Amino acid sequence: MKIIKESVVGTLESSDLLVKVTPSDTASRDIVVRSEVFKQFGKQITRVVTETLDKLAVSDGLIVIEDKGALDCVIRARVQAAVLRATGAREPDWGKLS
Amino acid sequence: MKLRRSMLFVPGDNAAMLSTSFIYRPDSVMFDLEDAVAPREKDSARLMVYQALQHPAYADIETVVRINGVETEWWQQDLEVAVRGGVDIVRLPKTENAQEIHELEAHVARIEQACGRPVGETKLMAAIESASGVVNAVAISTASPRMVAIAMAGFDYLVDMHTHRSAGWEPELFFARAAVLNAARAARIDAFDVVYGNVNDDEGFLREVNIAKQLGFNGKSLIHPKQIEMLHRAYAPTEEEVSHAKRVLAAAEEARRNGLGVVSLDGKMVDPPVIHEAEMALQLADLS
Amino acid sequence: MDVPIDAREWCAMSASHDFYAIRPQDAPGEMEEISQLLAANDLEADEQVEVFMVCRCRWTGRLVACAGLDHRTIKCVAVAHAARGEALSLELGTEIVNLAAARGQFHLFLYTAPHNLSLFRGWSFYPLVEVPDQVVLMENSPVAVDRYCASLRLQRHPGEKIGGIVLNANPFTLGHRYLLEQAAGACDWLHVFLVHEDASFFSYADRYALVEAGARGLDNLTLHAGSDYIISRATFPAYFLKDKGVVERSWAAIDLLLFRQYIAPALGITHRFVGTEPFDGVTADYNEQMKRWLEREASVAPPIAVVEIPRMALRGVPISATEVRRLLPDRDFARISALVPETTLQFLRAHFPVPHTAA
Repeated sequence: MKIIKESVVGTLESSDLLVKVTPSDTASRDIVVRSEVFKQFGKQITRVVTETLDKLAVSDGLIVIEDKGALDCVIRARVQAAVLRATGAREPDWGKLS
Repeated sequence: MKLRRSMLFVPGDNAAMLSTSFIYRPDSVMFDLEDAVAPREKDSARLMVYQALQHPAYADIETVVRINGVETEWWQQDLEVAVRGGVDIVRLPKTENAQEIHELEAHVARIEQACGRPVGETKLMAAIESASGVVNAVAISTASPRMVAIAMAGFDYLVDMHTHRSAGWEPELFFARAAVLNAARAARIDAFDVVYGNVNDDEGFLREVNIAKQLGFNGKSLIHPKQIEMLHRAYAPTEEEVSHAKRVLAAAEEARRNGLGVVSLDGKMVDPPVIHEAEMALQLADLS
Repeated sequence: MDVPIDAREWCAMSASHDFYAIRPQDAPGEMEEISQLLAANDLEADEQVEVFMVCRCRWTGRLVACAGLDHRTIKCVAVAHAARGEALSLELGTEIVNLAAARGQFHLFLYTAPHNLSLFRGWSFYPLVEVPDQVVLMENSPVAVDRYCASLRLQRHPGEKIGGIVLNANPFTLGHRYLLEQAAGACDWLHVFLVHEDASFFSYADRYALVEAGARGLDNLTLHAGSDYIISRATFPAYFLKDKGVVERSWAAIDLLLFRQYIAPALGITHRFVGTEPFDGVTADYNEQMKRWLEREASVAPPIAVVEIPRMALRGVPISATEVRRLLPDRDFARISALVPETTLQFLRAHFPVPHTAA
């Protein structure tokens, strides 16, 4: 999927995260994670984000994660929603959702 | 016999609540994609609910998704995530007539087939929120073999009726409650009473619970976890009821062992409905 | 069984209050309540705010929180003392971020007193520069300014004397040309920045084209696209309020500190060039501030020399873009041609043709 515009999804509240997607001008994919529990969970958060982006076939863009202690499933949902908004897709490909 | 006393509303867009609601162990948890979610966030909430439905924490709690109404642009996408996510029951808000249930059913079946879920597995429930809905309650309740419950929603209904909530026995809701309940019993499905919105008023909540219980409602839609325990306690049978129930079941067991067709206790005949009621009482007692 | 989350918090989570947006001009009654709330928090309503996000308690009907948006800058943030609690502030932050996004603004800034820094860190804002003990400028990205500097670093040029100059060029005049010639002549390399905001008579795109055309022949010069980090609505709002005669010293400091701490180091800039400013009060003051914050004030970043170049004059009168704009409605190209280079003149003639008068 191609990121064509900026998007922001999620909230600043505890157990949630804010996902900000920006098109990349350098044809690279950059994932930036900030979290109050980065020491313990930074790696895992990055892994979940990476997997989610891979499954959506996102190969370039700037994805910034502001995590407030979200579960993996919440991270997945917010990243998917942010990517879908950034691609301008009307609906996800339901068969490919995971 | 699935107990349906407490159905806890959880806004589909709220990460903290989705992450913790299972802790309170309601009989059913209802992920809301309708009124709790702003139009701008429908897409995001949908994906959150999809994830929550598949989370192991909710594996042994009955899940419900309140989709948006059939007159909106969102309901079909809501169904995709609900059915594919493995929801137990889809709740249709503002149900006006049986035709809406048929439309809903057709789409659910289509999605079940597309995702390889056994066709017929996803159940349905209808929320009655208008005068038309009340009038059509029987048709709605019997519109599909997938229908397992019907819920009365007070706020919108009263707006439709040009009135508002009052104290006491709430005459303004009497007919609707009775009609919806009756329809549920005729169709042999469960019935839920209205949401009690004032979470700071425990007394008022319990008063209403007792009205609902006395009328015969299976349970109530709830918006705060503290209401769960209060509700369960109110629905728990008394010790007297429990010991009576035990005696009824003992009598039924004895009759069965002796090959007798008729059950009797204290010189009186005990009908199947009474036995069923005794079973329910013990089940409730076990859970309290 | 214990309910781990107390009733008030669950209520906050399940929305026992409502958030909605209002435009100040449409809702005088709400503005009255907002002003009161701000006053209780030692703040004033900022006239530049385009839209307010407000929060009203469903039970009491009272206004309990507000946050304003002026283009990309968040202002006038207040939460009633009685409603203080982390959850409400974070909800407010979420709502204002979403409101901004709906208006197409994703990269946001905000100013705050240093003691509120932690509140806005919770909003996922990061500090950029601080005027010590007075004000902090923050942005809502952990990486934006660093990525910007990284892109600037790709355009470094070697040399001992590297210059920087910021132009609005509204439009590009012979005065600007003179400035560029003088500055480029005094440096190994000159970095030129164009003010990015589309708040001038001539659009950013047009101004850029005119500078590019007008600077031809100067080979040791890089023309940079403007950015949010250099004389923008976010970093120097007073610049865009010239007509209202508002002069805010803190704002100039913020813009200048950004230049000194981020932009100059990325490009290796040692000298900042600026034309003397006889006409415009805000800009004249800015030049003074420049000497203070770039040269004199202590900072982790090295000082930058400020070089003021006297404006080019025509018959004793400094050439200014304001004068060109003044002559434009009358299509006085005779006078205009003495003030602008050929490239600008051609552009003006093409875009402001002389209307045919009825015979």
